[in-house]
Amino acid sequence: MNLLRVKAIAYKEWREILRDRLFFAMAFIVPAMTLLVLGYGLSLDVENIPFATIDYDKTSMSRDYLHRFIDSRYFDFQGEVGRESELDELLADSRIRFAIIIPPRFQEQLLSGRNVAVQSLIDGVFPYRTQVSKGYVAAINANFSAQLLSHYMSQTQGITKEQALALAAPVQLETRYLYNQAIRSSWSMSAGLIMLVLMFAPPFLTALGVVREKEDGSIYNIYSSTVSRGEFILGKLLPYIMISFLNIFILWWLVIEVFGTPFKGNLLFFIPASFIFIVCTTGIGLLISLLVRTQAAAALLTMVITFIPAMLYSGLLVPVESMDKASQFESHLFPAVYYLNIVWGSFLKGLGWTELWGNVVSLLFYAVIIWTISLLSFHKRPKN
Amino acid sequence: MGHNLLLWLDRMTAMTVKELKQLSRDPVMLLVIVYFFTVDVYMAGSGIQMDLKQAAFMVIDHDHSAASRDLIYRFRSPYFDFKGELSNQHEALKRLEQSDVLLVLDIPSQFQRDLMRGKSVSVQMQVDASNATLGTLASTYAGQIIARYSEQYAEKHLGLGEAQLQAVPMVLDQHRVYYNPNQYDPWFMSISELLTVITMLALMLPASAAVREKERGTIEQLAVSPLSSAQILFPKVLAMGLIILLGTAVTLFLIIVPFFNLPIKGSISLFFMVTAVYVFATSGLGLFIATLSRNLGQVVMLVLLIMMPLLLLSGSWTPPEAMPSYVRQAMYLSPLYYYIEISYAILLKGAGLKILWDSLIGLSLLGSLVFAFGVWRFRKQFG
Repeated sequence: MNLLRVKAIAYKEWREILRDRLFFAMAFIVPAMTLLVLGYGLSLDVENIPFATIDYDKTSMSRDYLHRFIDSRYFDFQGEVGRESELDELLADSRIRFAIIIPPRFQEQLLSGRNVAVQSLIDGVFPYRTQVSKGYVAAINANFSAQLLSHYMSQTQGITKEQALALAAPVQLETRYLYNQAIRSSWSMSAGLIMLVLMFAPPFLTALGVVREKEDGSIYNIYSSTVSRGEFILGKLLPYIMISFLNIFILWWLVIEVFGTPFKGNLLFFIPASFIFIVCTTGIGLLISLLVRTQAAAALLTMVITFIPAMLYSGLLVPVESMDKASQFESHLFPAVYYLNIVWGSFLKGLGWTELWGNVVSLLFYAVIIWTISLLSFHKRPKN
Repeated sequence: MGHNLLLWLDRMTAMTVKELKQLSRDPVMLLVIVYFFTVDVYMAGSGIQMDLKQAAFMVIDHDHSAASRDLIYRFRSPYFDFKGELSNQHEALKRLEQSDVLLVLDIPSQFQRDLMRGKSVSVQMQVDASNATLGTLASTYAGQIIARYSEQYAEKHLGLGEAQLQAVPMVLDQHRVYYNPNQYDPWFMSISELLTVITMLALMLPASAAVREKERGTIEQLAVSPLSSAQILFPKVLAMGLIILLGTAVTLFLIIVPFFNLPIKGSISLFFMVTAVYVFATSGLGLFIATLSRNLGQVVMLVLLIMMPLLLLSGSWTPPEAMPSYVRQAMYLSPLYYYIEISYAILLKGAGLKILWDSLIGLSLLGSLVFAFGVWRFRKQFG
């Protein structure tokens, strides 16, 4: 391998990237933009659920009950309506996602020591949000009931309210959220998205860059030159690896500054590990470029083999352990799983080499395999 | 007059047929289109289930009593998966750090004794919230389980039988989930993916058809032909629009309905009408992209760049109410926002024109504007 030739090719490639202004700008804009857009867009915090009510009772107790929803930051009160058909219309038009109907004689029944069913209507279009909303409703109801019950028992059995409360709700749950105390989904998402972006952006650039030579026919200059295939690939890809390496810092900075996510880990671990990851994903781009002949096909194939698995099978949205066996297998075919552990471990858990070295080894292994395959399947004498 | 109209129609048909033929001879593009309308939507629909499934947990049981075992037993499949016991807090933290478990329950000693004496007892739960979604779900479910346990224990301890339960003042939750009663994720995910695919292809196909003419230089031939620029552009949009509508029908009737059992509640013809309006609008944006790029590579980059904010502002993943208020204002500028509102409303909610007229007007107005802009730009470049 002649390093001078590698340098010449890398320099040529760099000049070409610089001259295609749009491409150059995109190389930095697309990754940053993806992070920002998905970071804000995939917000999974369920708050401000718009809701409306019907109160057939209109007593102090029903108002007290409703205020537990109205005053909650999880719900956003849109007003009271008169008829149930109005609720149906509001739900169908997505003006509200949730409604409560308080039956007549709500207070009377409760005061006389009987239970009352309160009807709630929940929009099920976004299943995850529905599930969480149901949890909020159940929590508010349980809390309200416990108070009612303790009040009732303290009156009927002559014990103090605290004793009654202990009797009514004997087991309490104290939850501690580790690594992300306020369970901000933007923290987990923004950090996780570094994985997503570095999974698809480097192969994207690489595949487009290599296939462009094929499309333009300039690759025949390479075929007929004295450059060996190893020299060509290395020289060709160096600028792309460099761009992606810069992107690691940009993304890291955005996640910390824009999303306010803490970085608890060690940069001396995170940066080398990330570098190995982009070497992996650049290799994927190289492999794609060997399979296709046009830039459009390269771009689409990249989307298909990197973006979608990174989104669905990496553990970003659903943990790998919760997937079925086939998906678990599929997820381990991509380096994304290992890198996601590294990203979340570094940002939120403050882990480093000692805990995460296994993931780095997997990435290295992956990089070696994919580069070997690409190198072996690149021929200077193509059959067609 | 009649003669002119016939000629106009004749030219339009010829050009549309030309576009369709051209596409049919591009195997890669065809494959891509087929892939997105079938495999991609299927994968999205079956891949993700945003619910807690077999979440691994361990327990530090300081009590080892019947009561504590009963409590642990309630954390079970399909939501939780009991992985065994731990002896101390240090081990628990290590397991959580390594992501071996999602949560650790800590049951205090004297748990059973305190319960019997009518004291209130706290069970501690540590949740790995580095994935906030799972953290939220886990604590929601755990909270429900503990509340139920607590309630049942209280009833038993207070000696209340089923019959006497009526005689306790309590608010019972009687919820009904509309439109997707079992919160079946594939309905939501597959529709959302279909709408994204429609958007992407409506941007990409007309843009690449136009740029291909630029790349190959055939645009000059068209420019010197007797065709007006509308006659050059419109057939591209028409041909690609037809393909997209066909693809949508395939996805809806061959993938989403048979595989995910989506009950289509509303009018299908209304849905296709709205889709046609939307595809038309988005194609205008595609033509605008074509004026900016010199080759297909650039088209793809720009499509991605435009897709991202479109998706963010659409509410396809996140409903408007979960966005910051300034983003919510900007959503009114995204045609996809109206399209998604209308599509969910028709397909899942069974809403008709009576409820959707405002979104439909928004979509049509915005669509015409966008399309006019795209055509204007293209004309300026080649007219």
